[in-house]
Amino acid sequence: MQIALRTLLALAAVPAASVAPAQTLVVIVNPSMGVQHLSRREVLDIFMGRYRTFPSGASALPIDLDVNSTERRQFYLLLAHKEPADMGSYWARLTFSGKISPPFAVPDARMAIDIVANNPNAIAYVDRSAVDQRVRIALEITP
Amino acid sequence: MKSRPNRWIRWLDAGVRGSIVTRTTLAILAPAMVLGLTFAWLASVSVEHSEQQRAESRLQQLLSTVERTAQIACYLKDRSIAEEIAHGLISNRAVSAVTITAGTLTLSHADNPSAHGPDPHRVVIARPIASPFDPHESVGNISLVVDRAAIHAEAASYSRALSLALGLEVTVVAVVVAIAVYLFSTRPIKAVSNELHRIRFDTSARLHAPANNRFDEIGSLVTDVNALIASLGELLNTERELRMAHEVGERKLRLIFEKAESGLFVLDERGVLESWNPAFTRLLRLSAAQLPHSGTTSLQLLLPPHGADLGQLIRQCLATGQAYDVDLELPIAESSHPAWIGVTLNPIGPTTLQGVVNDITQRKHDELLARQLASLATQDTLTGLLNRRGLDMGLTAAFAVHATPELAVLQLDLDFFKEVNDAHGHQGGDQVLRHVARILERNARRGDLIARPGGDEFVVALVGIADPAKAEQIAKAIISEIQQPISLGIQSVQVGASIGIAFVLPGGDSAEGVLSRADSAMYTAKRAGRGQVCLMQAPAPPEAGAAA
Repeated sequence: MQIALRTLLALAAVPAASVAPAQTLVVIVNPSMGVQHLSRREVLDIFMGRYRTFPSGASALPIDLDVNSTERRQFYLLLAHKEPADMGSYWARLTFSGKISPPFAVPDARMAIDIVANNPNAIAYVDRSAVDQRVRIALEITP
Repeated sequence: MKSRPNRWIRWLDAGVRGSIVTRTTLAILAPAMVLGLTFAWLASVSVEHSEQQRAESRLQQLLSTVERTAQIACYLKDRSIAEEIAHGLISNRAVSAVTITAGTLTLSHADNPSAHGPDPHRVVIARPIASPFDPHESVGNISLVVDRAAIHAEAASYSRALSLALGLEVTVVAVVVAIAVYLFSTRPIKAVSNELHRIRFDTSARLHAPANNRFDEIGSLVTDVNALIASLGELLNTERELRMAHEVGERKLRLIFEKAESGLFVLDERGVLESWNPAFTRLLRLSAAQLPHSGTTSLQLLLPPHGADLGQLIRQCLATGQAYDVDLELPIAESSHPAWIGVTLNPIGPTTLQGVVNDITQRKHDELLARQLASLATQDTLTGLLNRRGLDMGLTAAFAVHATPELAVLQLDLDFFKEVNDAHGHQGGDQVLRHVARILERNARRGDLIARPGGDEFVVALVGIADPAKAEQIAKAIISEIQQPISLGIQSVQVGASIGIAFVLPGGDSAEGVLSRADSAMYTAKRAGRGQVCLMQAPAPPEAGAAA
């Protein structure tokens, strides 16, 4: 029943997302990190490689979703005002420097949540609906 | 050494004035060079300015090009990217230094090793770098120091190239102009000029216009010059003919002058001889030592006895402007015959006289002879009667034969003769005199002396008459006849006569005495009224009576 509903929701959500982002993205962290709240900028700096640390100084491990995922596109669009292509060129510029690499990408939200749940330094963004008790929402990204 | 610049200037001056090519080329080259230099200077200024601006805008563009990368570098404080950008920028020659900062942190700084030292007017192009994700967040700064010297050098080299091109153009134009002027102007003119140099006016020479210039200005110049040559040639021919004619005339005159029988000479106002012909010295009978010297010897000096007269004559001649003659006896040795010359002076200028000398010795001689002959004549040429001399000779002869010749001397004087003369002229008077002479001849006998000593007075010496009555009778007959009208062609005149009669007195009378008494008697008769006869009575009747 619950699965059926979720499938139904998912089915409903797919066409809805293509028209207007009905989902709400949230940035999740491991609760053990002790991070209560992150600003959009702090999140952006971590994901764009400016700082790979939390404000507290602990190192941060950003997790990207699949490059074709709606969430990823929306995340960067809302946070960095960049299309995926721009992001690609951004990282392409940085590859030769070798110091900073793009966030590690996982195929889906579940895996991202699993990584965050199991790794105190990890930080990821997922749809609010996918969030479970193992992670803490540090920021809600609204359009 | 001092003359050297002058000589250079003169040489230059001659070069410029003496050649159309040089002058034209300079005339075009000088303004073209001034214009070219001005243009080059303006261009260099403008090029400098535009180059600076262009360089700045290029650098701005360059910054724009690298901006996104710089944003990332600053955003990430990535030194290696910043380094990469800085090196990329510094490779531009117009950039002398690049600094990329992120906040207070200098990410990269690069200096151009070939930069042209420190620039006091350095221009810094700085641009704040925003975060790639938030245009409002400044994450750093990029600044370029513009290498103005490099830009300047670039502009200068560009200007140099431009100036070089301009200079080349001016030079080419000048060379082309020089060649064109030489080909189209100087060379044909020179050709015509050379031909003109060789031309001889006595031939019918003509200039030939260069083939290409036949119908242009040079052609028309040649045509004009040919016309001038033609008219000049004609003029020269005429002149030559005139000169030849003149020379012939001159030679003729010279010949005449040299060979003339008359002495010809020219004097100045003081009488100093300027020129003379051979006849002159010959006629003046000058010896070799006496030959005059032109400009020093005066005519007066050559004729010492007449010096004063000649001086007077010269002054008179010049004063009146008329010719004067004078006959002069030459001062020659007594042994020779006297020689005469006739000198004629003609004024031919304010201070010049021309003179002619002729030998008039023969004429003088003839004149003298004539005068001597005239003094021997006894006859009155007008009436054929005796003249005074004839009368005197006759009376003297009578007194020579006999101491007291028997003579009645009638002294006759015409009355009213002056009126006839006045009314009918000398011809009329002469006719009357001849008429009276005939009357006297008719009334005298052969052997009587009939004379006209002068004017209208006549003397008749009746030989062998001592009777006063007889004499008076004859006198009255004469008067009566004279009083008859005398025909002068269609007119007739009437004169009268008064007669005085005297007889030879015995005892030493003379011809003069009896004539004088007859004359007195005639005056007495005149005083008594015209047409009278008066007898001078003999002062000694007893002697006469005794004689009778």
